[in-house]
Amino acid sequence: MSRCGWFARQVGWWTLLECLMLVGPPSLVHAQIKIEVPEPGGAGLPIAISPLKSLDSEGGGRRLGEEFADIIARDLDLSGLFKVIDRGAYIEGPAGLSLEEINFQNWSALGALALVKGGLSLDGDGVTVEVRLFDVAQRKQLGDGKRYRGERKDLRRMAHRFADQIMLFLTGEQGPFDSQIAFVSKRGGGRAKEIYVTDLTGLKVTQITKDRTLSLGPSWNPAADKLLYFSYKQGGPYPYLVDLLSGQESRLYPVVGYSGRWSPDGTMIAVSLEQQGNSDLFLLSPEGRLMRRLTEHSDIDVSPTWSLDSRGIAFCSSRSGSPQIYVMNVNSGSVRRLTFRGDYNTSPSWSPKGNLIAYTSRAGGFRIMTIDVDGGDPQEVTAGEDPSWSPDGRYLVFSHGGRLYIASKDGRSVKQLTGGRGDDTSPAWSARLK
Amino acid sequence: MRSARAWCWWLSSALLIVLTVSGCPKKPPPPGEAGFGGAGGVGTSGGMGESGFPPPGETTQKEIDLGPERGGPLQDIHFAYDSFELSSEARDILRANATWLQKNAQAKVEVEGHCDERGTVEYNLALGAKRARAARDYLVSLGVAPERLSTISYGEELPLCKESNESCWQQNRRAHFLVLNR
Repeated sequence: MSRCGWFARQVGWWTLLECLMLVGPPSLVHAQIKIEVPEPGGAGLPIAISPLKSLDSEGGGRRLGEEFADIIARDLDLSGLFKVIDRGAYIEGPAGLSLEEINFQNWSALGALALVKGGLSLDGDGVTVEVRLFDVAQRKQLGDGKRYRGERKDLRRMAHRFADQIMLFLTGEQGPFDSQIAFVSKRGGGRAKEIYVTDLTGLKVTQITKDRTLSLGPSWNPAADKLLYFSYKQGGPYPYLVDLLSGQESRLYPVVGYSGRWSPDGTMIAVSLEQQGNSDLFLLSPEGRLMRRLTEHSDIDVSPTWSLDSRGIAFCSSRSGSPQIYVMNVNSGSVRRLTFRGDYNTSPSWSPKGNLIAYTSRAGGFRIMTIDVDGGDPQEVTAGEDPSWSPDGRYLVFSHGGRLYIASKDGRSVKQLTGGRGDDTSPAWSARLK
Repeated sequence: MRSARAWCWWLSSALLIVLTVSGCPKKPPPPGEAGFGGAGGVGTSGGMGESGFPPPGETTQKEIDLGPERGGPLQDIHFAYDSFELSSEARDILRANATWLQKNAQAKVEVEGHCDERGTVEYNLALGAKRARAARDYLVSLGVAPERLSTISYGEELPLCKESNESCWQQNRRAHFLVLNR
């Protein structure tokens, strides 16, 4: 709290309120409910997620109510913080939405400490969902209930949003599940690689490119409605931009390139572009115009990734004789080497919540590592390649053996996101959806 | 090999169909954007030169003629892991390739740089570009006109051999010479 006090003196009372909000929920929740804040990779907080009760007689409601529960269960499993109790064991049905109506003994008998219950009503194509989280032992509601309204197709996002709320109530920080992951896959068959986007179930997959060539290296804009990628469809590979809402595609700066990332403030795109066989880093405007050259070196500079304040870039360079991670101050251009262990450290990703940089390291096999941006000992997360941070900075998505996985940043929880159908690589985790 | 051929056949036919149906080549880039140092080139340390960049629209022709990956009149060269250095064996092959190019003076060649699967995609694309360039530069030093040689990197995306062992990786770490016309 002393930090909050300092901030408050500096910039006014409203900041104090914000600090209280940030600090408040975990301790409050902790005091009230005596549920231990779960840790990744632990036994997991036992939670029951009841299918939503359909508040009218229409038949489709039941299936939607189950789908809603399935998505929350999937999200909470991916978090590594929860043990979702199997629905087949539930004694009580979907009915009973209020404290008075719920028989908490039916849930404590299953070992559940937390319980999700809710209802949905259908109105033509419209859906309204009301959903609540309960502390089973204390027989109390946790936080406010939530009401979501939208079309049927929005039901999945409503579920992801409530999963994020459950994470907020029980860990003090909103979850990362109302977001999307872009990746490259050969799941369409043949040698063609296309860009796909999935929600956090890994099951609702949308194919973005249909060029039947090699499309590589997807990267999100901060609003999570556009993707930058590199494609061989006109030779190249050249950088392209696709607007996911309109489907409209444009070509960015028409020079061969291999990787690009949007700055978090949305004003710049850092790209590695090739000339005469060598790749260097450049800044493009969001419309694809060349703004500035960042590096001019006879060795490989590739895979730029931004700090949250859009002032720093970490990248991979072979300037020391082997690929290593470097950090650059964008304004001054000063560069310092960050990794010194091993002779192959590539594909950095800068955490949106602080000072950690995740990257790929070759040590026997390929491993995901994290290192503090100020230096220090690298920490191994798990086996894999090409990490990308979750918007809350607690998780990494990465590829391993042609499948995508999600790990907690300490590697204690590792969960499979996509199945074995195709060759899924190069995941990029979006910001939270608006 | 079967899959590689199928891929090439498939890509060629698809492109032919696209071109036949649309009846026109892909649009060239808008004027003023064709290279570094043009519009918006506010480089801190100077712009890049403008040479070496065919306008993207021109590459369509090359894709139609995409030949088999293995074979052709010019022999592949191979590289050590994470290296784009030319071995003495690679130099011998490049000398033979240069001799062929001198005898076939109309031929234009695209030098493809490839990597094995070990490593990350973006770094391997940059490494493949280094390999293609090293091979191309050596051919130029042997007297092949630079305008007859273009380069492209495929990184680890188009392996010849799919197994995970050294002999397979060795085959994949290569520069391949695609003859675009004769």
